[in-house]
Amino acid sequence: MYGDEILMAYVDGELDAKLRAEIAAAVEIDPALASRVEHHRALRDKVAGAFAKVLSEPVPDRLARAARGAAAESAAGRGNVLQFPARAARAPAAPWRAREWAAMAASLFLGALISWRLLVPGDGAPLVAGEDALLAHGELARALDTQLASEQRGEEPVLIGLTFKAHDGNYCRSFVLRATKTAGLACRVGPEWQVPVTDSSAIPAGDMQQASSVVAPAILRAIEARGIGAALDADAEKSAQLSGWKTP
Amino acid sequence: MTSTSEEIGERIVELLPRLRRFARSLSRNQHDADDLVQSGVERAWRHLGQFKPGANLASWMFGIMKNAWIDNLRTRRRRGEVALPEDSGEHPAVSPVDSSMELWSVSEAMSKLPEEQRLAIALVLVEGLSYQEAAEVLEIPLGTLTSRLARGRTALATALAGNGNPP
Repeated sequence: MYGDEILMAYVDGELDAKLRAEIAAAVEIDPALASRVEHHRALRDKVAGAFAKVLSEPVPDRLARAARGAAAESAAGRGNVLQFPARAARAPAAPWRAREWAAMAASLFLGALISWRLLVPGDGAPLVAGEDALLAHGELARALDTQLASEQRGEEPVLIGLTFKAHDGNYCRSFVLRATKTAGLACRVGPEWQVPVTDSSAIPAGDMQQASSVVAPAILRAIEARGIGAALDADAEKSAQLSGWKTP
Repeated sequence: MTSTSEEIGERIVELLPRLRRFARSLSRNQHDADDLVQSGVERAWRHLGQFKPGANLASWMFGIMKNAWIDNLRTRRRRGEVALPEDSGEHPAVSPVDSSMELWSVSEAMSKLPEEQRLAIALVLVEGLSYQEAAEVLEIPLGTLTSRLARGRTALATALAGNGNPP
């Protein structure tokens, strides 16, 4: 007696030669079994057949253009780099709270999203308010400086995703903070990593390593606004890191 | 763009009919399906550095589209858009008038499956991937794949029989 899963695997061509031959022989002498196999085969043929005609439909032009990388090229050509307004928060002696408010206002003004809870002042905070941008701090800054996506084991507190060169020439890296399940984008400006956007909404539960390669929509839009298409491969990432993230 | 990216781009162009078929088996709405292909292809370009030369490009693209599709569903669900009952007749992908009854009835039956079963059916029955390949695309164990496939098939057979279209 064969179960349905075996018979499905049989019509899917997934059984080894021995079991396959066994079932083929059994079908010959058992009409009930033959009709169950036929049922599974008919369903498979029906489903496959129903969608087969999509293959012969003309492919819309927009898809062919996208497949040839049109979006990547036009992103490179658009030149609409987001910039923090110069000195939006000029108040060097202001208390922390005011500076945080100003940086927050600047990023909200730009449509960027920052998770408030990341901005708790203190040594452990991943973000601190700089003069006119939020800056990576502590563990996050160290990971952005030194960690290579290609060498991650997946257990690091900060996971690095994509690294690419923005069309203003600076390197940007996407990251995921494990503890707060927050994704973000950091771009190197001088000696600092500015963080224009974070997103805590789109991290799936489960595999964080995977989360770092699946970039959240808000982060993707920020990358799109800056990016030139393909991310750096492992070698390019390493040499960028060795150069201290300075671009020629 | 390097010639390698261009080569991959051309290979993706060749895959488009299959990517469209995969998308159509996930979404009854033809425009949604093509939007899914487009966002998958655009994601692929952004992640091109992660494609390992020699790996199966079709499987890689299916995986990216699967992620795009799930993200999209999640976003729409958050906005409450997916609350539309699938059988409300809203934006049908195809109608019996402009396409075959068969595509219509199978799309209809597929749209009633839970997402995870629909993905398994789409990859194995529609796209013809092996169990191993499909499990890798979906990032699930082989046993999970075969049980989703089995449950999906049973539900499909019932739905198709109920539509007066015995399989």
